[in-house]
Amino acid sequence: MNEVAQLDLYGRTGPIDAHVARTAEGMAMNQVRVGLLVAAALLAMPLTAAAQQQGQPKEINLDEEGAAPAEAPTEGEGAGTGEGEGEGEIPGGEGEGLGDICKIDPSACPSINMDEAAKRDINAEMYAVQQIYALRRFRFEITPYFGITMNDQFVAHPAPGLGLNFYITNVLAVGVNGNFYAGLNSPSNFNFQTSRAARVGVPITEYAWNANANFSYVPAYGKFAGFGDFIFHYDFYVLGGVGAIATRPIAVVDPDNRTFEFKPRLSFHVGGGLRIFFNRWFAVVAELSDYIFFDELENPGIATGVDANNNPRAQDPTTWTAPETSFTNNVQAQVGFSVFLPFSWEYRLPK
Amino acid sequence: MMRRFVNSLCASRLLRRGMLAALTGCAALAMSAGAEAQEIQLTGPLAGAPAVRKLRLHRAGRIEITPSASFTLLDEYQRTIMPGLRVMYHPTDWIGFGVWGGYGIQTTTSLTDELQVKAIDDRNCSANPNDSACKLTAVNLTRGNLAQDQLGRMQWVAAPQVTVVPFRGKLALFASLFVDTDISFFVGPAVIGVQERAPCGADNDGNQLTERPCASQESFQLESRIAFAPTFGVGWNFYPTSFFGFGAEYRALPFAWNTSGFDNAGAGNDEAFPDTAVNNKDRQFRFNSMISVNLMFSLPMKVKNSD
Repeated sequence: MNEVAQLDLYGRTGPIDAHVARTAEGMAMNQVRVGLLVAAALLAMPLTAAAQQQGQPKEINLDEEGAAPAEAPTEGEGAGTGEGEGEGEIPGGEGEGLGDICKIDPSACPSINMDEAAKRDINAEMYAVQQIYALRRFRFEITPYFGITMNDQFVAHPAPGLGLNFYITNVLAVGVNGNFYAGLNSPSNFNFQTSRAARVGVPITEYAWNANANFSYVPAYGKFAGFGDFIFHYDFYVLGGVGAIATRPIAVVDPDNRTFEFKPRLSFHVGGGLRIFFNRWFAVVAELSDYIFFDELENPGIATGVDANNNPRAQDPTTWTAPETSFTNNVQAQVGFSVFLPFSWEYRLPK
Repeated sequence: MMRRFVNSLCASRLLRRGMLAALTGCAALAMSAGAEAQEIQLTGPLAGAPAVRKLRLHRAGRIEITPSASFTLLDEYQRTIMPGLRVMYHPTDWIGFGVWGGYGIQTTTSLTDELQVKAIDDRNCSANPNDSACKLTAVNLTRGNLAQDQLGRMQWVAAPQVTVVPFRGKLALFASLFVDTDISFFVGPAVIGVQERAPCGADNDGNQLTERPCASQESFQLESRIAFAPTFGVGWNFYPTSFFGFGAEYRALPFAWNTSGFDNAGAGNDEAFPDTAVNNKDRQFRFNSMISVNLMFSLPMKVKNSD
C-alpha cells in the first residue's frame, strides 16, 4: 500500500491500474463486493499519502509526468543550470531554458521570442498600495441607514434612509440618498420645560422627507490590526450634493388657528463618514451629514383685527409664518451598512 | 495530479461495473483530496505568521504628555471649552494608565442669548413686576444676567483613567501620505467641579428655606459642588513622527445637574411638576459629551519595533 501511495504522489499511475485490473479479474462474480474493496483501498490510499508527506517534496512537478523518476533530475538540472542556453531558441521547439513542457505537450510550448521580450520598455512604477482590499471602481454601493438629529434639542428628527452610489473611479462616486422623517418627528421634553419656565415659545418645525444627489470622494483608506491578530480595512469619504427637504412648522404660538402643509425646499448636503469593511462587499458605515436649507418658521406674533371680509386676520394663512426664513443646519448622525455590487472583481494588475 | 488520477480511475471500465462502489470510492477520494489541499495551505510559509511584523510600538514603555482642548457637544445653554492635560504611562503598547484634567471656560448658546433678550431684557420685569409673564417666570428667570446668575457650568474635571489600545494600523491619504494610527478606548472615574443655582424655596433635604424664596432676585446665585461620574470614550490617534502624535477623542461624562437653574420638578406625579423650589430634585441626568483635540508627546523619544 505504501508503494502505491508513493507512486501516486509522483504521478506514476501504471502500477495502480494493473493492480486494480488484476483484482477485478479475479472477482468478476461479485462486482459490488469488489467495488467496496476498491473503494476501501482508494480511501486508504490518499490518507497514507498524506501521512508520508514529511520529508517528501510537496510540489507537484509537471516535468516528471510520464518520465522515469531517475531521469527527471537530469533533465531538470539542465533546465536549472541553463545559464542562458535557451535564449532565443524557444521558438525552435528545443525547450531548453523553460523546462520540458515542450516535450510533454508541444501544443503548449511557449512561442515567446525572448530577445524581443527582453527589449521591451518596462514600466517600473511602484504603487503605494499594490491591491486595495475592496476596489470600488464600477461598483454600486447600496447603503441603508438610520439617522438621528445631532443639533436640535427641541424636536428630534430620526429617519431611516437609503443611499445609492455608483463609483466612476475608485475614489469618486455619484449617487443619491434620501431620508424619510414623516411620523417620526417628536418635540422634546426640553422644549416643553423651557417654554413652561420662561414663557417663551420656540418656533419648531418637522420634516417629511429629504432627497439629494451627491458626489462622494474617498481621500483616505487604511487598515487596522485588531488585537495584533486580525486585520480589517476602512476608508474615509466626504460628500456634497444638492436636493430638497419637505418641512412645515409645528404650530406652537397659535395652534387654534394655524395648520401648516409640508413644502419642499432647496437643500444642500455636506457630510463625511467612515466605512469599515467586514469583507470585500460588506461594510458598516458611520456618517455625519448636514442638510442645509432655509426654513420657514411659525410667526411668533399673532395678527390682530379683521380683514376686508371681516374675518379675523389671525386666520389668514399669510400671517402664520415669519416674514424671514431661517438658515437651518439639520445635522444627522447616520449609521448603516453598505453592500457593494458586484460582489467580486478582478484586479487589473497582479499582486 | 491527484484529481487527474481520480478522474481517470473513475472513468475506467472496471469501475463502471460496480456503480455503487465507484461512487463510494470517487466520493471518498474527492473528500480526501480536498482535505489535502487545505493541509497545504495550513503548512505553507505564512502559516502561523503574525498579522503584523516590525510594528512601531508608539506607546510601549513610554510616558505620553498630551495637551488637549475639549469642546462639549449638544449644549443647551452654555458651551464649555476645556483646555486640559493628559499624562499616561503605557507599560505595553496596548494598555496605559494615567490622568486627564481640564478647566472649563463657558460661552453661551444662541438659546441663552435669545432668552436673555426676549424673556429678560425685553420684559424688563424690574420695572414691570406685575406683568403676567414676569409673575409667571419670577421663580425661573433672573432680572439680571442669565448666564452669570443661574446657568450651571462645569468648572473643572479630573479623571484617572485606563486606556486600552486594541486596534493598530496605518492610513493612506490620497494614496501618497501614510501615517501610523491607532484607536484607543478609555474608562475611569471623574471628579467634576460644578456650579449650579443654589437651593431656594427648599433645600436638598426638603426643608423650607423661607429666607430664600425662589421668586426673589437674591435667590439667583451659583453654588459650587463636587460631582462624581464615570467617564469613558474612544480616541483616534495619528503618529506622523516617533515622538509626536495628534488625535481626537470622544468623551462621555454622564451625571445629573441643573443646567438651566429652572424649577422643573419636585411636585405632582413622579415629582414631574414645578414646586417653586430649586434643589437637587431639579437636577436632570445628562450624558455630557465632549470632543477633545490632543497633541501627544512621548518620552523617551525613540520608538521600539515589534518582531
